[in-house]
Amino acid sequence: MNKVLLMGQSNVGKSVLFNCLSGGGATVSNYPGTTVDFDKGRMAIDGKIVEIIDVPGTFSLQPKDKAEEVALKMLEGEKDAVVLCVIDSSKIERGLYLALELIEKGCPVIIALNMADVAKDANIRINAEKLEDLLGVPVVTTVATMGEGLKKLVERMKETRSVKIEGIMKSVGGG
Amino acid sequence: MEKKLSQMLYEEEGRIKKIDPGLRAQIAGMGIREGKEIKMMTKQPIKGPVVVNVDRSNTSIGLGLADKIIVEVEK
Repeated sequence: MNKVLLMGQSNVGKSVLFNCLSGGGATVSNYPGTTVDFDKGRMAIDGKIVEIIDVPGTFSLQPKDKAEEVALKMLEGEKDAVVLCVIDSSKIERGLYLALELIEKGCPVIIALNMADVAKDANIRINAEKLEDLLGVPVVTTVATMGEGLKKLVERMKETRSVKIEGIMKSVGGG
Repeated sequence: MEKKLSQMLYEEEGRIKKIDPGLRAQIAGMGIREGKEIKMMTKQPIKGPVVVNVDRSNTSIGLGLADKIIVEVEK
């Protein structure tokens, strides 16, 4: 693992998480041919320096606009990267849509259930362990703005793995 | 009664009945799927986008897309 792609829908806290993980040492670069920016930084996992990239927010992997095209291109261009999928816990359903798309694509995924405080205020309770059992990829609850869960997130980053979507379908009993 | 999403009135609520098949995958990531409850939040003037609430989150949709979504509303 030498690269981490931070992916998620818009406004779920990707950039906050990015600044926490990379220490805010972000350099902004411009993707050729578009006006959409992404941030690159570095973070340490187990004492090893890896590159972390803040990808523009995307609702799904079927691009609707330039920013989403960039996101998809980056994902396809970085075959060896692991994907940190950030989900807004208070809007978990649509977040899981993207997470499942990433899993289906064969990307090694770890999920950050971010904005857990917002979900809690909205009286939404999520069983992260159960979700992890069902999906087969690491699921970590975080509150990026408060720094909660970030240590655990980094620790578990190496457990990131690709899983077969068929297995998930089977465990949730879907067709 | 069925109507297009673009024809829904301010604060009107309904359930999504049919989405143009070519559009389904495009907006599924926004949580807009058939069977979902939907509420009209704001309509922007001069053929501007509509803002709808699905699963407690607001999403804006272009009027052209909203034309292709059929919603079942009461009365």
